[in-house]
Amino acid sequence: MISFIILMSIVICFSAVLALALNFQWGSGGMVNFGLAGFYALGAYACALLMLKGGFNTFFATLGAMAIVAVACGLVAIVTLRVTEEDYFAIVTLGVGEMLRLVALNEDWLTKGALGLSGIERPFNDWVAPTSYSYVMLGFCALMVAATVWFLNKLARSPFGRVVRAVREDDVVAATLGKHVLWARIRIFAIGGALIGLAGSLHAFYYQYIDPTQFSNIVIAYAFMAVIAGGRGAYLGTILGASIVMVLLEGSRFAKDLIPSLSSDQLAAIRIIIIGVGLIALLIYRPQGFLREYRLQANLSGSKQQSP
Amino acid sequence: MKKFTRRDVLRTLGAAAATPLSAPFLNLAHAQGANIPIGVALPMTGNAGAYGPDMGEAARRTADLINKAGGILGGRKLELFIEDSESSASVAANLTQKFINVHKAQSLVGYWGTPEGMSSRPIAIQNKVVLMVSSAANAITEGDTQGYIWRFQMRATDWGIVISRAAERLGFKSVGVMGLQNAFVLPIMKVFEERMQAAGRKVVDSLVYNPEQPSYRAEVQRVFGKKPEAVFCFGLLPDFVSIMREVYRGGFDSKVVSLSIAADAEGKFIQGVGAQAAEGIRHFQPMPDVAAPGYKRFLKLMGAPADRIFLFPPNTHDQIAITALAMEKAKSPMAADWSKQIMAVGNGPGEQVDDIVEALKMVRAGKNVNFQGAGSTCDFTASGDQLGRGMGQWVIQGGKQVFVEYAKP
Repeated sequence: MISFIILMSIVICFSAVLALALNFQWGSGGMVNFGLAGFYALGAYACALLMLKGGFNTFFATLGAMAIVAVACGLVAIVTLRVTEEDYFAIVTLGVGEMLRLVALNEDWLTKGALGLSGIERPFNDWVAPTSYSYVMLGFCALMVAATVWFLNKLARSPFGRVVRAVREDDVVAATLGKHVLWARIRIFAIGGALIGLAGSLHAFYYQYIDPTQFSNIVIAYAFMAVIAGGRGAYLGTILGASIVMVLLEGSRFAKDLIPSLSSDQLAAIRIIIIGVGLIALLIYRPQGFLREYRLQANLSGSKQQSP
Repeated sequence: MKKFTRRDVLRTLGAAAATPLSAPFLNLAHAQGANIPIGVALPMTGNAGAYGPDMGEAARRTADLINKAGGILGGRKLELFIEDSESSASVAANLTQKFINVHKAQSLVGYWGTPEGMSSRPIAIQNKVVLMVSSAANAITEGDTQGYIWRFQMRATDWGIVISRAAERLGFKSVGVMGLQNAFVLPIMKVFEERMQAAGRKVVDSLVYNPEQPSYRAEVQRVFGKKPEAVFCFGLLPDFVSIMREVYRGGFDSKVVSLSIAADAEGKFIQGVGAQAAEGIRHFQPMPDVAAPGYKRFLKLMGAPADRIFLFPPNTHDQIAITALAMEKAKSPMAADWSKQIMAVGNGPGEQVDDIVEALKMVRAGKNVNFQGAGSTCDFTASGDQLGRGMGQWVIQGGKQVFVEYAKP
C-alpha cells in the first residue's frame, strides 16, 4: 500500500507541475491554454526522443524538452499577435494542441505513431537500487514541484509579475502605462511552456512508455479542475487542487473494497459521477478555489472586492 | 466564510493523504487471508467498453469454479480485483501499480487494448509479475520479455494472413484499404496489402485515418471514389459507424469488409447505423473454436445459450485457468517460479484436458497435462505468442449476423 501511495504521489507531482504551468498562463496571465494536452505531449515526446534518438542524458533531455515547448508556446503567442483576447486565443491554442497530438499520432518515422515510444530511461537509474527507486523519484518530483512554486511565487512578486497581472486585468491600461503587452504575453506563454515541458518530461520518466492515448483532452480537464479547485493565481493552492483531483480519481477505486456489493462496471460509472459531483459542489461552495492569489489574500472570505 | 490559512491547507493535505492510508485497515477481514490475488484490468468505459462486463463475469465464474473445488496450493483461494482500464494507457499503468503494490498480485489478466498492454509491460517485467494480455499488436511480445508477458490472442500479422486468404477466395480483383491509426491495425494492413499484391490483385488505395474525427467524409470519398470492388476497413466501432454512414449517404456500391469489433461489437453497430446501411458487410475476428469441447464447457459455465459466440471472455477464462495451473505445477504463487511452467501446462506434453478442475487434480497428482482452453488450445511460443486460435467470418444479412466460416492462419 505504501509503495502505491508513493507512486500515486509521483503522479500528483507531475500533474501539479502541469497545473502550475496552466495556473501561470491562465490564472496569472489570463491566457487560456486549451492546447495543454498537445503541449504536454510535445514535452514528453521531445524528452523521450532527445534521449532515444539524440543520445542525450536525462538532465539535458529535460532541459531540451523545456526549451522546445517554451519556443513552441512563444511562437503560438507571436502568431496570434492581436487575437490574445481570451476567446480567440483559446480557439487558436485548441487548434495547435490538436495539431501536435496528430503529429505524434501520425509521424511514424519520428514518434512511432500509435505504437508509442517505449524504453524511456529514468534519471538516477544507475545510482539507485530498483527497490528504493520510487522514493528517489518522488523526492526528485517533489523537489521539482517545490522549485516551480518557489519560482512562480518569486516571479509573481517581481516587477514582471505585476506586468503579468496588469495584462490579465486590462491590456489596454497596461499598454497605456508603457508596458509592451505582446512581449509580456510571449514571455508568459513561453515560461508556462517551459514548465509544461518539465511536466511532460516527468510524465515520460514515470511511465517509461508514452503513446498518444495518454495525452487525450481529459488531461486538460483535470488540469483546469486542479487550478479552479486550488484558486486562480494561487500556486500553493494548485498543489492542493492537483492532489484532490488525483485522490478523487485513484482513491475512488478503493470504494469497491469498502463496499463489496458494488460490481466493477457499476463502480466505473460511479467513479466518474463522483468526480463530476465533486467539481459541481466545489463550484457552488467555493467558486474562487481554496486559496487566492497573494495580492488578494486579504479578501479570502470571497466578499466583494474593495476598490482601492 | 472561513478564512483559509496555510495551516488549514496542511491539515487538509494531511487528511487527504491519510484517507487512502486507512483503506487497508477497513477491510482487514479479507486482506489477511492466504488468498491468491489476481489483478484484472478490463475496459468498462471508453471505446472498448462493450467487452469489459462479460470478460469480468467470465473471470469471476472461473475463479469461483476453482475456489469451490478447493482452490489451489493446498486450499488457497483465488481473489480477483477487477478494475476499469478506461481503454487508456496511463490509467492501465496506474492500475498495474495498484495490483502489484496494494494487492500484491503476481498475475495480471485482461488488458484488452494495445495501449493498456504496452504501458503495463515494463512495470510487469520490472516487478517480475506475469502479464497476460488480450491485445493483438506484435510489439507487445517483441524484445526481451523475460518470460513474463503472454498473449491470449492472435498476433496482428496473423489476422492479416487469414483475411487476405479469404479475400483471394472471394475473388476481389481490386480493393481499397482503410485503417485506423492504431498499433494493432497497421500490421494487419501491411500483411494484407502485401499478400493481395502478391496474388496479383490491385490495391487501388491505402489510407490510415485518425480516431475520434467528427466526420470521415474526405477519407470515404477518396477510397470509395476510386470504385474498388471491395473496401477493407480495419477499425473500431465509433469510427466505423461514422464511415458507414458516409458510405450509405454517398451511395457507393463497393463491398465492405471489416473487423467484428467494429461491425458487430455485441450488436452495437447495427443499432448505430440501421440494418439497411449494414446489409452485406462482411467481418472477421479471432474467435474460439466453437466446436471445441473447451468452449462448450465454457458456455455452460457462463449459463449462455449454445449458439452464443463470445469473442474475448473465453480468453479471460483461459488466463485465470493457466495462472492456477502454472501455480499448482510450480507449487508456488510467485510469478518468477510459475511463469516458467506456463508452456508446460499449456503446450504439454501430457493428457489433453479441457476441464480446469480436472486439470488441477491431475497436476496435483503429479501428472503432465496439456490444457485445452475455451478461447484456444492454449499453446504458446517461447516468446509468449499464442498459437492455435482461429478467425471467424460473418456477413450481415437482414440485420442479423450470419456466420460463414472458421479458419486458422
